[in-house]
Amino acid sequence: MTTNYRAFAVGLLLCLSSSANSVDLVINRDIDYESLSRNTLRSIFSMRMTQWPNGKPIRVFVMGDKTSQHADFSKHVLGVFPHQLRRAWNRQIFSGMGQAPIKVNTEAEMLEQIGNTPGAIGYLSEDNINERVRKLSVE
Amino acid sequence: MSVYGSSPLNKCWAIRLLALLLLSANGLSASQLDQLDGALQVHGFLTQAYVKTTENSFFGDSQDGSWDFRELGINSSYRFTPSTMASIQLLSRRAGEMYDGSLDLDYAQLDSTIYVADANRVGIVVGRYKNPFGLYNDTRDVAATRPGIFMPQAIYWDRVRNMVLSNDGAQLFGDLQVDEHRFSIRLIGGKTPIDENVEKSYLNPLLDPEMEQDGLTLGGRLLYEWDGGRFNLAYSSAQLTLDAETSLLPDGEVEIDYRVLSAQYNSGHWSLTLEYMQEPLNYSGFGGLMDAGDTTLDGYYLQGTYRLRDDLELFARYEESHYDKQDKRGEKTAQRLGLEAHNFYSRVSTLGLLWEVTEGLIVRGEFSQVDGTIFLSNLENPPPQMRSRNWNLFSLLVSYSF
Repeated sequence: MTTNYRAFAVGLLLCLSSSANSVDLVINRDIDYESLSRNTLRSIFSMRMTQWPNGKPIRVFVMGDKTSQHADFSKHVLGVFPHQLRRAWNRQIFSGMGQAPIKVNTEAEMLEQIGNTPGAIGYLSEDNINERVRKLSVE
Repeated sequence: MSVYGSSPLNKCWAIRLLALLLLSANGLSASQLDQLDGALQVHGFLTQAYVKTTENSFFGDSQDGSWDFRELGINSSYRFTPSTMASIQLLSRRAGEMYDGSLDLDYAQLDSTIYVADANRVGIVVGRYKNPFGLYNDTRDVAATRPGIFMPQAIYWDRVRNMVLSNDGAQLFGDLQVDEHRFSIRLIGGKTPIDENVEKSYLNPLLDPEMEQDGLTLGGRLLYEWDGGRFNLAYSSAQLTLDAETSLLPDGEVEIDYRVLSAQYNSGHWSLTLEYMQEPLNYSGFGGLMDAGDTTLDGYYLQGTYRLRDDLELFARYEESHYDKQDKRGEKTAQRLGLEAHNFYSRVSTLGLLWEVTEGLIVRGEFSQVDGTIFLSNLENPPPQMRSRNWNLFSLLVSYSF
């Protein structure tokens, strides 16, 4: 019985620590913003908003649906579940009204792309953020 | 790096070639080729279903178990600028005797945003476009976006699918975001591609009806979304007139008015959807009994889904369709036309399971109990007198999209 409790406590700790390891919004340094509203982010990540106010294209980068980074960003920053986001993309892609975001497999790749692509937006864990990208707060 | 899900194709030389053609056609310099990742996309889907019914035929010879429900689609889109995009989709759809799987141009459109300020925009789409109708019409052939293996027939009839499927013409769109509230309007105008399914549903197939559209299909959709889609409310409408020739009656016309009210609530784990359809039909010029046969069809469904796990969803749906909204059991219509009442209504209860195996692969299994035969196609069933009132439907579906 004690072992069970101990296993449960360890499990709980793991859960808490993994959710504490949250991701932050990052953009390419050429975009001159300090923060974005959640509504604007939802429009961007559901691929309905395609350009920054200066007219430059928005390039959206995401990781796989089942990665903890994507789940964390979807749920805690956008307030939607990954499956809801995927359905929104599919609705756009297969009706001809929009395009899909660009997928990267690792945070290193995410950092690389956000750093090198003008107009890029994505997310990274705090440990992986450096001066190559701009970290943004969400209003 | 890859465009979502399309990595093998994105690297394909054929796509590069197509891209080059697109670029040279538009006089852009070759140095812009480097920016192609993401601007040019290719996506597609493959769906195969198995359908088994205890009585009657639905999507093929289903009493013996039918494999004749198959959908293949491939599309490509190219974003020239953030506000201009061209897209095209080819579709092959086998649906029993209703569709034979021949290749169709599903859409081929150019959309241009004329005004944009943050998430607000106004624009126009020209070409062949899918009609934004109800919550699901514009992607009704894509299994990953449908609310089940089959569209709820009470709203999205398969036997007259083409009537609101797409338009050849123009569409105006506008989106307005005010805090948590988003208003979206679509206005459509164009020609509807009419097919045999439509002809033989609105007139008796024994009359060999042939139809041609008189004027344009006009309509649109107003959609309100709250809190990123937590709550959605929509009103859609489309009107069209079909000129008809038959082998027996004088030439006449059928006026169709199609309206749908949609409401949906999404929490993270569960969602509830209600859609209601009303369709006044007006027959004129055919004479006697036909012209007196004006009716208003209606129907609704209520669907609740619950997400059991990240990749597993359970749903229950109840739907009802009536040939005459004043005659929900079909008895008066049956008396007038000398047929059994069950030909003029349907009541369907469905339970289904969705398993999202990977990001692109889904598997669905469903069971329906049906009372009534209104949504059965005349193209794959014997005359109404020989259809069975009570029947069950079991189906399985596998679909992959990229």
